[in-house]
Amino acid sequence: MNADGEPAGVSDAGVSKSGPHLVSIAKVACVIAAVAVLPLMMPINIATEIMIFGIFAMATNLLIGTAGLYSFGQAAFFGAGGYAAGFLLAHGWTSLPLVFGFAVVVTGLLAAAVGLVSIKRVGIYFMMLTFACNQLIYYAAYSWRSVTGGEDGLAGVRRPVLELPFVGAIPFDDNRVFYAFTAVLFLVAMAFLVRVVESPFGLVLAAARQNTRRAASLGYPVAKLQLVAFIIAGAVSGIAGALFGMLYRIVPIDSVHWFGSAYVVFMVVIGGTRSMIGPALGAFVFIWLQGLLSLTWSRWPLLLGLFVVATMIFQPDGLLALLTKRPAWLSGRRERSRS
Amino acid sequence: MLWLISAQLVNGIAIGLVYAVMSFGLSIIKGLLNVPNFAHGALYALGAYICYAVVSLQLPFAIGLAAAFLGAAVAGLLLDRFAIRPVGNGGYLPQLIVLFGAALIIEQLLLIGWGTVGLSYSPPAMLRGALNLGITVVPRYIAFASVFSALVIVLVWLLIERTKFGAYVRAGIERPETTQALGINVELLLSSGMMLGAGLAGLAGGLALPIVGATSTMGGDMLGIAFVVLVIGGLGSLYGSIAAGILVGVVQSLTTIVAPSASTAIVYVLMIGVLLFRPQGLFGER
Repeated sequence: MNADGEPAGVSDAGVSKSGPHLVSIAKVACVIAAVAVLPLMMPINIATEIMIFGIFAMATNLLIGTAGLYSFGQAAFFGAGGYAAGFLLAHGWTSLPLVFGFAVVVTGLLAAAVGLVSIKRVGIYFMMLTFACNQLIYYAAYSWRSVTGGEDGLAGVRRPVLELPFVGAIPFDDNRVFYAFTAVLFLVAMAFLVRVVESPFGLVLAAARQNTRRAASLGYPVAKLQLVAFIIAGAVSGIAGALFGMLYRIVPIDSVHWFGSAYVVFMVVIGGTRSMIGPALGAFVFIWLQGLLSLTWSRWPLLLGLFVVATMIFQPDGLLALLTKRPAWLSGRRERSRS
Repeated sequence: MLWLISAQLVNGIAIGLVYAVMSFGLSIIKGLLNVPNFAHGALYALGAYICYAVVSLQLPFAIGLAAAFLGAAVAGLLLDRFAIRPVGNGGYLPQLIVLFGAALIIEQLLLIGWGTVGLSYSPPAMLRGALNLGITVVPRYIAFASVFSALVIVLVWLLIERTKFGAYVRAGIERPETTQALGINVELLLSSGMMLGAGLAGLAGGLALPIVGATSTMGGDMLGIAFVVLVIGGLGSLYGSIAAGILVGVVQSLTTIVAPSASTAIVYVLMIGVLLFRPQGLFGER
């Protein structure tokens, strides 16, 4: 696999410790502030959608930015998570841990199956295989009407209820409460994924991205670790899909379509693959732009396409690089020399 | 029953040959530019719409097919110049994202030009009616489409195997750097490869117009099938996609007899089945 661009993911882990604490505390504060301010700037459901797709994009970035596995089939897991959670919620099981647990198990198993078929193939082959598996799962969902509702989508999805020992039952029917819940999951997912990326496991993934053969000859079970990353990314995407079904109380068939897979790769790449903030930013820009454009013109995907092409041509490192490049002296980060 | 099977078999071969034309184009682009052409489905749709535009001007169907090829080839050239090349040094991820963005633009332009309602066109009078082959009866147009597709494939094969241009193309696929070092203009070669591949997608779209009509979603579905054909044929093999295309068409048609609703999903099942036994695809080497 060609090691293109900058090393992602590991970037912050090995940097010299000249005030890294202050920087990372500032980063965390910025992210939490942004999450808190977001619903004041736009309709609450759009803000919730940004959180959901932020989770989806960050999970996908574990594959793209860290592991260098260019999957074009992540919507399969997003949609499957939506169907798994939605099926329980539409049939009267509303316990929150049960619903999310089920979604994680189903999407994790599905990701394991897809990963087993595709992970040993590299580069373009891997991309096309994940794409084709996505299509297969799409048609399976399309035909399995009794569970997924087929073309009409899985309707009648209710929001789960969280039973806490001393507080009692917390319902999420209020959209603001649901936003808060989604935002908390978003922050947890971000913390978890950053931890994964910076762990020894994440470092081996990044090493394998830069030179698969060298990482393998050092004795690391590269394919196995990549499969684990694929399962983690799939399961986290499944959580995002479950939230999406709860938000609009329906799981549309479009949520498993491969267009979703391509869109999430957009979000990751236009945001920037070098950190987990990039994909979140990409999701913000993408969902916000989509909401804005779809109000103005029924042919809005044309404008979206132009935006994507222009971003890739003029800002190939992602929008986050636009923000961070200028004040390089501020963040105290040295220019990395390529070895 | 036998009659039904043989009818579906002939039908499947015809559809498979159209798939083969389309995927052969994808295979050429993949070979030369080393990028999976995510705009291939959109180019296929573009071909169908161009062909429709030409025949609705009362021009002959043959001109429609030629225009579909040329129009898609020009679109391929534009894609190469203004989408693929500007992001060329970043690896294939930016390239295929740009191609996907371009596909969105092309499909929306088609919707702006021809509206959201699907279009249909019946083949010219000469190609209507049926042909009795003895074992089964085939619609004339289906027979024409298969023979024509086969001819196109043979022509492109001759172009690649028997001409100087073809030798450059093969050299460009095998050893791009050496080819450049030998003084061959690789930039130009890549552009013409992209044009040829895109043109084949457009031509397949034109050929499919009398069978399936022209709709805005035709590209996305076809893209999936073309990718599957390429993977089954083997990514390293330029010609594997031809046999794989016919195989996919036949399997799909025969499935329609047993379970019509599964005829699309079976394509992907077939692909996974093939890969479990031959991970490199039917004709790939590794």
